[in-house]
Order: sequence, then structure tokens, then C-alpha cells
Amino acid sequence: MKKLEIEFTINNQKRRLSVKPNDLLINIIRNDLFLTGSKYGCGIGECGACTVLLNGEPVLSCLALAATVDGKEITTIEGLAKGNELHPMQIAFLKNAAVQCGFCTPSMILTATALLKENPNPTEDEIRDYMRGNICRCTGYIQIVKAIEECASGRKTS
Amino acid sequence: MQTNTKILASEFEYFAPHTLEEALDLLAKYQDKKAKILAGGTDLLVKMKTTNLKLDFLINIKNIPELNFVTWDDGLKIGAVTSLSQVEKSEEVRTRYLALSEAIKAMAAPAIRNMGSIAGNLCNASPAADTAPPLMIYGAEVKLVSKRGERQVAVEDFLIGPGKTVISSDELLIQIDIPALDKNTGSSFLKISRVKADLSKINIAVYLKREDKVCRDCKIVFGAVAERPIRAKGAENMLINQPLTPALLTKVAQRSAEEIRPINDVRSTAEYRSKVAKVLTEEAVKLAWERAGGELKI
Amino acid sequence: MEKQQFDFIGKNFDLKNIGKVTGKEIYSSDVHIPGQLYAVVLRSPFPHAEIKKVDYSEAEKMGAICLGPNDVPNILYNERIVSIPEKTYRDRTVLPQDKVRHVGEAIAACAAETEEEAFAALKKIKVEWGKKWPPLINLDEAKEANAPPIYDYVYLGEERVDINNNIACERNVEVGDIAEGFKEADEIVERTFNTQRVYHMQLETKSAVCIPEADGGITVWTTSQGIHNVRILLGNIFNLPLSKVNVKRITIGGSFGSSIQMNSITPICVALALKAKRPVKLVSSREEDIYDHAKYPLRTTLKIGAKRNGILTAAHCRVWVEIGGHNIQAYPYLGCVAGWFASLYKWKKLKYEGTAVYTNKVPTCALQGYGNPQINFAVECLMDILAEKLDIDPLELRLKNYVGKGDEFWGQGPTVRSIIRSCGVEEMLIKGSKLVGWEKRTLPSKKRGEIRKGLGVARGFHTSGTGGPNLGEVIDYSSATIKINEDGSVDVLTALMDVGGGTWDAGAKVVAEVLKVPYDKVGIYNGVDTRSTGYDVNTHATRGVYCGCGAIKFVAEKVKEILLGYAATLFKDLPDNLELAYNDELGQAIIYPKGLPENYKTVDEIAKTAQIKSWGTMAYTGSLRQKNCPPCFITHFVEVEVNTKTGEIKIPRAVIMGDSGTIINPDLWEGQIIGAFSRGLGFGLLEETKYSSITGNLECNGMITDLKIPSSVEMPKIDSLTVQSAHTYEPTGPFGAKGIGEAALSSVASAIANAVYNAIGIRFYELPITPEKVLKALEEKEERSEKIAD
Repeated sequence: MKKLEIEFTINNQKRRLSVKPNDLLINIIRNDLFLTGSKYGCGIGECGACTVLLNGEPVLSCLALAATVDGKEITTIEGLAKGNELHPMQIAFLKNAAVQCGFCTPSMILTATALLKENPNPTEDEIRDYMRGNICRCTGYIQIVKAIEECASGRKTS
Repeated sequence: MQTNTKILASEFEYFAPHTLEEALDLLAKYQDKKAKILAGGTDLLVKMKTTNLKLDFLINIKNIPELNFVTWDDGLKIGAVTSLSQVEKSEEVRTRYLALSEAIKAMAAPAIRNMGSIAGNLCNASPAADTAPPLMIYGAEVKLVSKRGERQVAVEDFLIGPGKTVISSDELLIQIDIPALDKNTGSSFLKISRVKADLSKINIAVYLKREDKVCRDCKIVFGAVAERPIRAKGAENMLINQPLTPALLTKVAQRSAEEIRPINDVRSTAEYRSKVAKVLTEEAVKLAWERAGGELKI
Repeated sequence: MEKQQFDFIGKNFDLKNIGKVTGKEIYSSDVHIPGQLYAVVLRSPFPHAEIKKVDYSEAEKMGAICLGPNDVPNILYNERIVSIPEKTYRDRTVLPQDKVRHVGEAIAACAAETEEEAFAALKKIKVEWGKKWPPLINLDEAKEANAPPIYDYVYLGEERVDINNNIACERNVEVGDIAEGFKEADEIVERTFNTQRVYHMQLETKSAVCIPEADGGITVWTTSQGIHNVRILLGNIFNLPLSKVNVKRITIGGSFGSSIQMNSITPICVALALKAKRPVKLVSSREEDIYDHAKYPLRTTLKIGAKRNGILTAAHCRVWVEIGGHNIQAYPYLGCVAGWFASLYKWKKLKYEGTAVYTNKVPTCALQGYGNPQINFAVECLMDILAEKLDIDPLELRLKNYVGKGDEFWGQGPTVRSIIRSCGVEEMLIKGSKLVGWEKRTLPSKKRGEIRKGLGVARGFHTSGTGGPNLGEVIDYSSATIKINEDGSVDVLTALMDVGGGTWDAGAKVVAEVLKVPYDKVGIYNGVDTRSTGYDVNTHATRGVYCGCGAIKFVAEKVKEILLGYAATLFKDLPDNLELAYNDELGQAIIYPKGLPENYKTVDEIAKTAQIKSWGTMAYTGSLRQKNCPPCFITHFVEVEVNTKTGEIKIPRAVIMGDSGTIINPDLWEGQIIGAFSRGLGFGLLEETKYSSITGNLECNGMITDLKIPSSVEMPKIDSLTVQSAHTYEPTGPFGAKGIGEAALSSVASAIANAVYNAIGIRFYELPITPEKVLKALEEKEERSEKIAD
């Protein structure tokens, strides 16, 4: 297979990589760029653990070819905080005990930030519905939904 | 066969054309050589990871701007690579084609909808595809194009079996056309699944045209209960040109359940699907009727 | 019950999980060693087949390092070594030497520069198969006389044990004469219950990374709940002294019992690394993981008797469990199931018989409860049936018979008995019933409409650890090393694992509370390994707080003594005349002569002084075996909504009462209960790993597309889920604390099943209660009542 040159921006950094056509985005993020916050959970798009933001929208990196992100912008969990300043969603997750084993946490947080961008004042049902593709085996979701609600209302008052 | 979902083991040559012409040239060139189209990849990559699907050439059409649109032109025209979430967000879809809007909203999860496309959903041709029944009740058509020319095919005729469509190996589905609907029409979509983000055990889409208390036209399509989405034509004919009453609705529901051919599979049983087909018909017809401005007191 | 004012216990500190929200937390599957090879495992497509030869020459030609049956030590072991050796059955080798016993069992492995190359090489490995047998899927067929034997013999300790009729082990317990007991009964009820196999679906698949060291030793990162047991097993298998085996403690992406045992991929990874003489990383695919472990199913035939006034007189419990192709300690499982059953209620006279049977399926292991939710389903449903028969309120029946304060209790099985010293059962039942509106409950016969609501109750418990006054069959102790650093901050070195429930957080709070050092100056998070820590048996059996933090408290108290000793030197006084306290204003630990707080010195000062004056490090290493395993209790009140047209069941509301004594982490305590509720919901209504009886394959094919677990949508809404704690204090626990983890799951499905009965008047004796089963049962009920009407 011939390698392809791709250029993209990840967490505000321009990167250029040489990838094989069958390289998956999840693997180049984790193994080539050493950003291990995005996780392999199932490989078939059913658990959401590999979620990253592509041009601001959540996508499943286990089902995306690296080649297809040429010219695009990626945000992973590592790119959410601004230096030492945590993103309000990260703070809300910490404050609401929405984190147990933490394996689903990066994908939950990224998906939740996308939700609030699209719908700044979601109802509880709207939050649950949006998050339904991100599975968590530990928390039972309630505290995650609370965290997202808190983050949304925090934005409202700020 | 042993799988490894951590990687994509398959090796292939990759193309990312920027125009439709380029894409068609590639399809023509590789039509007999195991070539596949990549749009969102949410079905194709899963298939490549979990079955023995082999391909030698992969053509990514996501970067072709002329295939990415949702426009209104006396009917809705959707470009092949438009993401499901883009389609769902369209004002026209949300107000005019409720069944399609509801079907997309009920599909999978936001991330999958951001990546996937209607074209992909149709070409994958799962009997349980959620966008197919709504498209069929609206009489939607797909435009298939190749170097040899182009043709329109009704969605109903496009899907012919599990994983099978009428598309030729040099053709590309570039557009889905949904005709404008008359006044006093209503539609609905319902599905039953194990959890919310899930393939349907059974789904249904209903379209009705109402004139006072009479149903002038109707389409009822079930998914996941045959080798492809099917029309319950017998049930439809019972409704057409009849006043809709609770008693008739019960009979129609009974009839529609007899027209499906569900099987036992890992998701559910034939028995269950047959039983709830009745329930879904009643609910979906009632909802569509109310959306068409009608009243039905049960 | 003592009420104490704590400086740190019971408070919530937010920043503890900062690594997890920023993506910086490293799990085994994230470890990257420069130059590492990627490993993949060849797995059996057959359920029961003889391996004649494994030929990996083609794979080697492609440059891969390969592993076959002849490349691994032929040591027989059991991957779970929590029980003493004499009570440990052994039937596993790193790779099977003679035959495979379930679809998905590892046969061979290879490692290469990239995962793609390794997988391509793997496909070139040729296996020559010998005899093949049809799969034994069903428990009954597996124990038939003519069923193909899955094992001819195994080892129990050092003794060879013949296996007949695929019976892996048995366990019987009797207390008194049940025949007498049933004679005294006015009412007797008997039913058979079945719970299903479920997959853990822990988000992180089982993984390992191994560096072969220059001196022949190994360094290992792996998904584990007990790094010392992994170390012992690896040392034993690969014939290495433990001083050359270092297993790193590393965050794990969920476990629920699936890594109490050393995972099957871990020694495979080590073997590859030793052969390749390069670091090797092995991350299971999800489909492999699904074929690696599952929850014990259980068939229970339970017969209980009571007097007219509701007092129980006898119980006979017969259980069967099929354990798959390997025995991951079914023997203690049977003992624990006896304990969960025996210690729920005062049966007076009881007989328990348990049998475990091998089948050609995925090996089963603990899933948050080690048999507890399974047997709880049988007991709690049958208690409701008995209550109805006696015309006594289900709550009253439970209040009359529960094993509680002052009673003898053997939750961990017949060899571990102690007296209960703290119990909130009554408080929880009464308060919970008021919160949920139990008195408004109506009978099934009074329900109307398409959507039927029902209210059900069930209670459960779990032991906090496995300790007892006398040594039993189970090894249970934890160690800790605590040292005060030169600036007054504290290092806590413990092999205790935190699988997400906040065990490390609790440990830090315990140390902070004893040494009065502020919480954020107690370093307990990652950076330790087997080399730097004393032995800890495992973080399982809900022992993290009671046992693990119990040991931490014990060691912290010793360090406090040393600290006070140094302080005494500085104050020129006796340690007994000094007070150690946390000063809120200063935000520091201070020591002062009793009665003279203004003459304080900070602990930071004292630590610095000790260093400058070359006095030595203030540190202590010690272990603790808890001589108790006090029950933590739970009560679930669940409201269900049954759609009688579609059979779908929703859970709109639940009230959950928990008793953990002093609650060290309130937010995570609640999180455990809510999380367990979601897993119980799945267990009760949704999940099952089903098999093809023809191929022995999982019907889902290893794909979670068809192994759905509850999502955010299926849980009750925030305001509809009430979680409250009883007010108790456990005198033998660190600051009065007990556990909660496995108690939280024990009665969820039982309460749901009882609620479903209340909604539609139909009893389900089998889990999960799916819409398909509900509709079918409703139809059959209608047909029966029509027949009666006729």
C-alpha cells in the first residue's frame, strides 16, 4: 500500500503525518501522536469511547480512516483545557462525581461540550438522549447528566 | 473467522476525488476490481472489520462539495454525502417530512449521525434500516449516475434484499429526491428496540392523506420484519377511501401484522414482532392521522 | 452509634480525578514502551477440540515472534489465588496443551512491529485439529453420563482429583434438621429460579504490557485488581523469584470482578516478551474480551417454610452453576452463595447443596457479588411469594426475619462466622417505605389500563471483605507503607486498587484524618508497584475500605506514634502529653502540648527538623488482617411501568437505602449505588450472553451490537432516584466505615422482579425479563383466565 501524506490540526497544533490508507484515526491519535485520552472500547462504533471532535462535531475515531482527516481540525480531550485552566465541563464532571473508572470520561466530556454548543439549555431528557451513544458501565449516568446540567446552567448565569 | 476490531486489516488503494466526474471515472475504471465507496464509513468499516469483506480500491466521496446539500425545489433534494445530522437539522425535513426527521433522530447516536449519510444507509441495505421506511412512504427516489448515464429509481425498488440493491458496480448514488407533499397529509415513524441507541427490532413508517374523515391515500412500510422494508399493501387498501374509525384501525392493524415475514434472530422473536406490529400500526396511523389534521377518539 | 466530627472523612474533594478528565490518566492499554512489539492472540473457533499441532512457521517467516503450546511453561495454575492453596482447584495452563474447551480460548499468539503485521502473521498460523466434540452448552446435558468429558482430572491443591460427569466441585452445608423445621411450618413455598450469564462490559478490555529486563526479570503493567497475586502467579509460572517480578499498580478501566484473577492474556504477553527479548503490548479486542469472562449463572431451587405469624422455620436451597471451560474458583463461589443465602434471613434450620458443572462456554467469574445477586433473586422473590401466601405485608415479613445486629452471620460462607455489630436494616425498610409511598401500593388485581405501574421491594447485603475471627479458606490482608516527607507531606504506598469506587480517595482521607495532614498533601495516587508495596490480596469482596483502608489506618496510627515521638523530643515532653490536630485557619497539621494550643509547632516544621537533624524518616510498613467482614446492607424500592401492549418495562422511580456505617466518600458512595442500579437494571431486564448449541459460538459473535447494556436513556430521571444512608457506625471499621460496592447490586433485579409482579400479577422466575417474555406471559395469562371464564 502506498502511504499518504496528510496534514491536519490537532488541539490547535498543525501536524503532518505519513499514513497508510487503512490506518484508523484512533490508532494514529493514540500510537503515533501519543494522545491516549481517546480510548478503544469496541472498534465498531457502539460504545463511544473513541469519540473525538472533528471540525467541532463528535465522531467515532474507531470508524474513521486517518486519511479522511486531511485538512481538518481535530480536538481530543487533551485539547480541551487551556493550559492549566480546565474547561467548565471538566470542572462540572469533577464536582459532580461523574467520574469513576474514568475510561468513558474523555468521550463523555467531549460529547457533552458538543451538545451544549448545539443546544445551550437542554432539558434533562435532551441530555440523556444526546449522550445515549456513550456508554458507561460504572456511574449509572445520573451524575454525568447532573454535571452536564450544571455546566449548562453555569454558562447561562455567566 | 477471527476478527480484530482494533485495526482495519484490509489493505487497499485509497482515492479522494474532489469532483463527481473524477469519482465516476474511478468507478468506471475499477468496477470489476472490488471497489467500494466511502461516505461516512459507519457501516462499511464495521463490515470490513467484522466480516470477510475484501476490497482493493476505496473511493472517498466525502470531499465532493457537489454531493453535499439539502435543497428545496418543489420537493426535497438531498446530496449523497450529506450527513444524517445535517439532514435532520434541515428545516424542511423537520416541518414537512416528520417521519424522516423522527427516524433519523431515533437512529444510533449523534456521532454516528454526524458521520453517516442517508445514501450510505440505503446502499448498506439492511432490512432494519431506519431511513428506508420513511423514504418509501414519501415515494422518494434515488438518482444513480455513471459514465454511461443516469437513472431514477424509487427507493422501494432500489432495495432488493439484505445488503442488496440494484446499483451497478460503476454507479454512484448521488442524490435522493423526495416529492413535495399535498396539504392534509401526515406521517409518522416508530421503532422498537432493546435500548434507545439500537437497531430496530421492528420499525414502521406511515403516510396518510386525509379528506374530512376519509383517508384518501396511505402508505404503510415496515422494516426489520422481512428481507427488505416492505409495504403492507393489504392494510393500505383497507384504509384507502374509507373513513378512519377505531374499528377499522383495529382491522387494519391486524391485516398489516399478517403481511410481514419476521424471523427469530438475536434481537427478538418472530412472535413478538408480529404482536407489536399491530400495536405499532395503530399508534403510527393514529399519529399520522392527527398530524394530517384529523381526529380519532379511541 | 457514635457521631464523630471529622476533619476529612465524609467530605468531598473535587480534584481527585483530574487525570481522568484531562486524558492524562494512564491505563494498561495506554502504556507505551519505545520499541514495543504488538501482540495478538489466535483463538479457537471450536468449542471442544483436540489440538494436535500448532505450526507457526509461516508466521515466523513474516518476521513475527510466535508462541505455541511448546513455548510456554507447562505449569498448571488457577488464575485466582485468593483462596488458600489446599482449596484451590487448578486446571489452566498459559496455553492449552491438549485441547480447547470453549470457543475463543487462546491457542497461540504472535507479536510484531505493528498490530497489522502481527494480525497478518496470526492468520498464517496453522492448527492441526484432532477429535472434535459437540459443545456442551446446557448444564443438564453437560452432567449426563454420556456427555464428552471436558476434563479427565484436575488438581485441588497438590491432590489430583478425577472429574466425573463434568462436575467441577460441590459444596454442602447443613444447620439443624430441615425436616423438623418444615414440620413446624404452617406454610411452605418452593420454586426454581434461573439467572443468566452476563458479560461484565468493563470499558477497558484486558491488556498487558511486559518489559523483559536485562537480569531475566520482568516489569508488567496489566489490568488487575490485585498486583501481588499477579506477581506470585507470574513468578510461579515463569520460575522467577518475586524480587525479579515487578507488577505496576495502574488505573483500570472498570472491572466488576473480571480482574480479581490474573487475566488470561497476561502470561501470554509475558511469554512473548521473554521470547522476543523486547517489550510486548497486548490489548484484547472487545470480541476477544467477551469470550474471556462472564458472570456465573445460577439455577436455584429454593423451598422455605414459615409459621402463620411469618416466622421462618426452615429452608432448603439447591443450586447449580455451569462455569464454562475453566474453574476460576467455583468452590469458594459455592461457599459464598451459601453465605449470601444463609445470612439474609434467620432460617433456623437450613440445608444447602451446591454443584458446579463444566461446560464448553466462556469461563465464569465474579461480577460484583460473586453469586449474591443471583441467589438474592431467588430468596427475595420467594419471600414475596411467601408473604402473599401468609397474607403478610412483604416488609413485615422481612422485618420479622432478617439477620441483624447481634446475630451470628456467615455471609462469606460457612467457615467465616462473626457477630453483626452495626445494622441499619430496620431503619432502611421503614424509612424507605415512607419515601416511596409503600402504603399506597395496590394489588395486581386492582391495576387497570394499558400501562401498569407496580412497586416492589428487595433487600440485600454483602460482606465488607472476607475476614473472620478464625483463619478460614480465604487469604485476606492488606499492607501499607506510610511516610512523612521532609516537608510534612505524606506518601502512602499501597497495592490497594481503586477500580473506580474511590478506594484511594478513602485511603487518603483516612491518612489525613489520622495524621491531620490536609487531604491534598497525602500522595496515594499512582506510582507504586509490587516492589514498593507490601502484600495486598486484592481489591474485591467489597474490602477496599473496610480492609484496605483498615490497614492504612493501622499503619497511619503507627506513623502517628513516631511523629509524636519526634515531636516529644522537640517539645522536651512525653508523647502522651501532646495533641495532634488539624488547624483549619493554617490549613495544616499542628502539634501542641495539651492545654497550650498557642505553643504549637506545625508537622511541616517537625518533619524538616527531623531531616536537618538527621533523626531519620518517619515511616512505618505494616499489614492488617481484619477479623470480621461486617455486612453492609441495602434496600431497594423500585417502581416499574409495564406496557402491556409491547411488554416493555420502564423504571420511573426508585428509592435506595444503604448502610455502610460511616460514609467516607459521600459522592462516590452514591455513585456506587447508582452505578450498581444501572447494572442491576441490565441484569434484570436486558442482558444475556446466549450461545448456539450447534457451534458453541456466542450468538452475538463477540459484537456488542447485540450485547446491549443500559444507556443514559434507560435510567430513572435524576429527581426520581432517591439515595439515602442509614445512620450506623461499625465499631470494627476505619472510623466506623463498612463497604458498599457489591451490596449495591445485590437486590436490584430482585426488586424489579417483585415490582413487575405487583404491576401485572405475573411472576418471572428467569432473568432477564425481556419484552418478549412479558408479552408471551401476558398472553398465556389471558388464555388461562379465558379458560377459567369458560
